Amino acid sequence: MLKIKNLKADIDSKSILNNFNLEIKSGEVHAIMGPNGSGKSTLSNILSGKKGYDVSGEILFENKNLFELETEERAHKGIFLAFQYPLEIPGVNTNIFLKTSLNAIRKARGEKELDAIEFLKLVKIKAKELKFDEEKLNRQLNVGFSGGEKKKNEILQMSILNPKLSILDETDSGLDIDALKIVADGVNSLRKKDNSFLIITHYQRLLDYIKPDYVHVLMNGKIIKSGGPELALELEKKGYENFN
Amino acid sequence: MEEQLKIDFEKLLENSNFSKNNVEIKRKSFNNFIEKGFPNRREESWKFSDLNQIISKNIKNLSFYNDLSKPNKIDQSIFIDGLEHNKLVFVNGRIEKIEFDYEEKNKIEILDDLFLEKPKNANNSLLFLNNAFVSKYFKLIVKKNYSLQKPLVIYNITNKDLVSKSINLKVDILLEENSSLKLIEFSDDKSTTNFININYNLDLQKNSFLKNYKIDNNSNSNIKYYFNNISQDNNSISEIFLLSSGSEFIKNEINCNLNGKYASAFVNGVFILNKTKHHEIKTNINHLVENTKSYQLIKGVLEDTSKAVYQGKIFVDSKAQKTDGYQLSKAILLNDNTEFNAKPELEIYADDVKCSHGSASGSLNEDSIFYLMSRGLNYKEAKKLLINGFLLDVVEKITDFEIKNLIKNIMSLKQ
Repeated sequence: MLKIKNLKADIDSKSILNNFNLEIKSGEVHAIMGPNGSGKSTLSNILSGKKGYDVSGEILFENKNLFELETEERAHKGIFLAFQYPLEIPGVNTNIFLKTSLNAIRKARGEKELDAIEFLKLVKIKAKELKFDEEKLNRQLNVGFSGGEKKKNEILQMSILNPKLSILDETDSGLDIDALKIVADGVNSLRKKDNSFLIITHYQRLLDYIKPDYVHVLMNGKIIKSGGPELALELEKKGYENFN
Repeated sequence: MEEQLKIDFEKLLENSNFSKNNVEIKRKSFNNFIEKGFPNRREESWKFSDLNQIISKNIKNLSFYNDLSKPNKIDQSIFIDGLEHNKLVFVNGRIEKIEFDYEEKNKIEILDDLFLEKPKNANNSLLFLNNAFVSKYFKLIVKKNYSLQKPLVIYNITNKDLVSKSINLKVDILLEENSSLKLIEFSDDKSTTNFININYNLDLQKNSFLKNYKIDNNSNSNIKYYFNNISQDNNSISEIFLLSSGSEFIKNEINCNLNGKYASAFVNGVFILNKTKHHEIKTNINHLVENTKSYQLIKGVLEDTSKAVYQGKIFVDSKAQKTDGYQLSKAILLNDNTEFNAKPELEIYADDVKCSHGSASGSLNEDSIFYLMSRGLNYKEAKKLLINGFLLDVVEKITDFEIKNLIKNIMSLKQ
């Protein structure tokens, strides 16, 4: 599904990612762990098409060159980024935003757009699954939401948009145990043989709830070690500094 | 221009039947205007909008005499659809329709031949110009305890026949005790390069409530000045919303005197400007007695080389303890050639007051755009959603549900 070859990314001539390689197949869950500044967020930004990076190398998503696609086209193709810091958008009603987003994606895929009633039915079910307070959906997007609510809102969006590749950028940070569990349940319920996940995190904690197939350790812009779930435990014990 | 002014003024007197009093006031006002001329940037309150320059740049051969002898046809398609309303219709400065179909007849009075008075604000030459050239001076009185069933829309329509003329209108509105009025002022201009000078005097007696929505949304090349003078007695409320968007230049000046305890004034406005448009909102909110309140929220979205100005003044008299005054202005500058000038002024002589002001301007937040695009919206859609959200905040302040929806429709903000 996703093949990253020799990815190099600079920002203001500072090297962030260098010789980065990763392959994710359909149905797999990969976790990338790394210390602050190792390039984790840059990776997720580049996958979603954020501007401002000098990039080289190759990223193929379902055999298409991602660099040729705009941010919204990547969303249409099924890439979803759950933001580390979801933005507050004043004046934009959350429900309206969700509907606009879903219909933009459905339209791009040649599917029928949902009308208000069909949409509300869908969103009601999804909100309930995630124990997301429905009343919040009538508020301005993320405005006045707690940190946990913002993160849950990301997972709600993910579950409504039903992407092929979901990238979770430190979704666990700032979540209490209960919220963490709900978020993890949300992710687990979306795990199917044709959906893949890339989970970016500092801590092993989230991986107790979402069992990854592979764990990669990212340091100084490249993957220094890959393994199974046991790698996360080893990392947790040793810490990043003594790892290697 | 002075020669033209004199010829046009004599022509006006010759062709009209003004009372002796009015002719006298008109002559005095005329001389006063001749002496002062159009305001320019050397005057503090015009320093961001040099009207003299703007007029000479935009209007070739401005003439001041307007033949009002023949009626104009009203283009009915301009009337606001889906909102039952009373009408006062001006076409090219001539009153063409007065219609209060929804109201009890003895609760409303309309006078159309009032005595002119010398403007109180001797520094404002445009009030003298207005006095000199206004043809009919209207007054609408809403009687004690009466609330109009339906909004009143004052249409200021100009059609394509009107070119390089000066139009001067003067309308007084008196809300007697316990009365209320929803007033929409709706401009529609198909004319070219005219100078339109409108003077409203709004007098709110005890416990009266005025909702005043001013809509200028259709692009046109006219230069406009509105002077809105508001006096408020005890417990009266004024709610003003300005949609400042269509004309080449508009300055909306609001002078509000809170003369009675517990009177409150709300001034909310949006600038939506493109091309070379230049709009200004200038307010003077005068807190003159105890326990009065004012709230101002102005937002602008500026494109191309447009320019917006907000000069907001809160004056608190030494007697006006417990004043609550607030103002905030914000602008989104969509490119580097736009300009937003904000000049907040607080002049406070009482010690037990709560007053605050703030202003901010900047470009659209690119991170927010990225967030929306990552959810499948293209750049244009993302930008529109953000701008609409930014402006909606002001529109949501409108307390009349029906008119709020109308204005959302006009601004294409319907979600």
